[in-house]
Amino acid sequence: MNLIALVVALPLLGAFLLPVGARSVGWVGRLLGPALLLLTSLVVIVLWRDSGGVPSHIELGGFQPPLGITFYLDQLALVFALATSLLALLLWPHAAWRDARVAALMLLMVSAASGMALSGDLFNLYVFYELVSVASFGLVAAPKTGAALAATLRYVIISGMGTVMALTGIALIYTQTGTLNLAHLTLLSATTLDNTLGLTAFVLILLGIGVKAELFPVNIWVPEVYATASQRVSALLAGLISKLAIIVIIRLLVLLFPQPEALTLLLVIGALGVLLGELAAWHAKDFERMLAFSSIGQLGLVLMAFSIPGQAGLFAGLAVAMHHLIVKPALFVLAERWSGGFAGLAGAGWKSPWAAGLFILFALSLIGVPPLPGFWAKLMTLLGLLGQDNWIYWTGAGIILLATVFEANYLFRFGLGLFKAGSESRSAKVPVHDAGSLGPSLILGAVLLIATVMITPVGNWLAGVADQLADRELYVTTVLGAGRELP
Amino acid sequence: MRNLTSPLFAAGLAFFLLVVVAEFEPGAAPMVVGQAILQEAPETTGTANIVTAVVLGYRGIDTLGEIAILFTASLVAGLVLERRGGKRQAQAPAGNVLRISTQLLFPLMLVIGFYIILHGHLTPGGGFQGGVILAAAFFLPLLARPGIQVRHFGLAVTEGLAGSAFIVIGLIALFQGGAFLQPLFGTGSPGQLLSAGSLPILYLVLGLKVGAELAGLLAHLVYEGSET
Amino acid sequence: MSMVFDLQWILYTGAIGLIAIGLVGIIWSRHLFRIILSLAIAEAGANLMLVIAGYRLHGHAPIMVAGVWPEQMVDPVPQAMVLTAIVIGVGIQALALSLAIRVKEAYHSLDIDEIRAAMQADIDAQAGVTGDLSQEEPSGREVIGPTVAAEEGRS
Repeated sequence: MNLIALVVALPLLGAFLLPVGARSVGWVGRLLGPALLLLTSLVVIVLWRDSGGVPSHIELGGFQPPLGITFYLDQLALVFALATSLLALLLWPHAAWRDARVAALMLLMVSAASGMALSGDLFNLYVFYELVSVASFGLVAAPKTGAALAATLRYVIISGMGTVMALTGIALIYTQTGTLNLAHLTLLSATTLDNTLGLTAFVLILLGIGVKAELFPVNIWVPEVYATASQRVSALLAGLISKLAIIVIIRLLVLLFPQPEALTLLLVIGALGVLLGELAAWHAKDFERMLAFSSIGQLGLVLMAFSIPGQAGLFAGLAVAMHHLIVKPALFVLAERWSGGFAGLAGAGWKSPWAAGLFILFALSLIGVPPLPGFWAKLMTLLGLLGQDNWIYWTGAGIILLATVFEANYLFRFGLGLFKAGSESRSAKVPVHDAGSLGPSLILGAVLLIATVMITPVGNWLAGVADQLADRELYVTTVLGAGRELP
Repeated sequence: MRNLTSPLFAAGLAFFLLVVVAEFEPGAAPMVVGQAILQEAPETTGTANIVTAVVLGYRGIDTLGEIAILFTASLVAGLVLERRGGKRQAQAPAGNVLRISTQLLFPLMLVIGFYIILHGHLTPGGGFQGGVILAAAFFLPLLARPGIQVRHFGLAVTEGLAGSAFIVIGLIALFQGGAFLQPLFGTGSPGQLLSAGSLPILYLVLGLKVGAELAGLLAHLVYEGSET
Repeated sequence: MSMVFDLQWILYTGAIGLIAIGLVGIIWSRHLFRIILSLAIAEAGANLMLVIAGYRLHGHAPIMVAGVWPEQMVDPVPQAMVLTAIVIGVGIQALALSLAIRVKEAYHSLDIDEIRAAMQADIDAQAGVTGDLSQEEPSGREVIGPTVAAEEGRS
């Protein structure tokens, strides 16, 4: 199990060597990044098979928790570590083949994202989160147009604000508990964090990490960054990194902050995200920004699903999150050739029928049309919200239904526009999709279809993951052992 | 940015900060993990400076992440500021006093920097503090002779190899059957220069890396910033 | 809640004050350089808060020397954390400054509102659409092309 550290260490090693080595070694340098990602995926798969689904932990530096830093390896952590490597491989940016520095930035982001999925230490989570941030700054600034740099700068400032808030939250928790290990904090949380101060710390961390999770007040960077960054980078940020941020928030919520107020807060922030995101997407006039706003709405939906108390909420939340993890990157990859305003894209579907078909598949799943997985995820969320005996939750369910109407409207409008009759001449300048540009979307579409067919086993597995996520005692006994004397 | 969300945001922020101030119990925070580390660190890691034991041992992966962040920041600054075939504005050379004193200071600062790095496990200081001094030492010539060519490649090699050495030392422990970043070579007797096993080596590569990265970052900013 | 004005309480209030000053500065400033400086101030506040969390009145530095026992030392963990946090802060500030240099070159302004407007115009122009969320209605909408506006109005 100690080998899981390779998932963090190897990409980092590659990133340190690439900018030096690539000047002299040529194609070796170009292939190093993807090769390392393949290797880390293999490591995760082998370790996952060996673990048999039972959570375990490793002690970095060989220091016993709670003194040293631990990685916690439950199924959720492993699936996200694997998803990080595989998605990065699938969405390896074009610029990364040409520029070793972009490849190094990708590796840094992968290393830190895996670390975020695995880490079991509050401050270590923050360090990995910051590394993800800084690497993503570089990736979104890489096109180096004026707009990209300005968008990145605003993104840096908002992230910097988030950094300060998250750090303050961590400092608050430390002043109350004197420890940083999540298992140890879980033990102490009932006596030290179940108060206003604990809730404040949670809000600060929520807003801090929420910058990456595109949460309501701190998401103003989203449309401009996704409109200016390369589409594959947007795909990674919207698909993978935002989910990782949410997973970290939810893990902290489950372990450290059992207050019901925290759940209500998630619901309200999520509902605002859904409402504003989908409305803005409805108003959008170009493909990338429509996807960006829709992503804000979808992440709001994830948050609303997680706000349902108990294991049911975690199950629904994971389902919505995993669904979006597959769908949104695929849509952003389609935008590589279909960049820009709707008017210019009219009739483009006639020339690239496969791409148009994929768009319709993903759109139907986003809206929640049975039997696609998106339907089950949304259904579970709605049933969970309606099952609560509380008007706030019912209002939330209403908001989701309302947003779905908007969502269906703008997605259909775009899909119909692709097949607008008599507009072939206008779309003459729109590039045609070929096998290379469709590859990642095709693979993700296949995953979606497989999940549709095998919805029962996938659902059962996800329920098991949610069970592990919900089990606080399992976390504590796995990391700290049973009955060991603690400082 | 300031139209709707920001007053709302500011109001919320003010409320939370008020809560924090109001709820704070006077007095020191509990010292749970810290006390345990103070008790056992000299024995398990062999460092006299316990902050070093925490930085390189107990929280070694944090430190690795931190140098990776600095590395990334320097990489991105280079990426953003790089200009193909850029012309450098000729600046007047500095006066005699500045030039000669930088030449005098340069070796002294190198010595101090390395001293602080190599004694990081014994006295206050260490790789970061010493690395900053090293970066300052290499920055002095830039101040004295503004037209000087910075050898970015040399800096890149230094930071790349130093960072890799940190990870490789960690990986050696891993493949010897231990944990990633586990200290190697025993502990020695605390308080001696040659003690604390592999931690002083880690601090040395850390110092070199931090020095190279900060020097590179500053050089990027100075050269590219002076043009506008 | 007892408002005892002991040193610890004053330090915490000071740290929180720095954070507040910094965050308000980020939100309310227009000048880019001021925003970046405000960020630095807020980070200093957060770092200060971390250090205070480990501080003991009359505590000794956590270094083993003769005559000082571990019980008399301050908490070493926040010191290590703050070292990390400071370095992270330096990296982010340097990054923000280098971006600011290039943004100033691109848009000839350091006013965040002007930069934002210019950036939005750039993005819209690149996407081939008129400003979708701008407050003022573009006066020349007909000139840009009645077909575009009409089509989008219909759908």
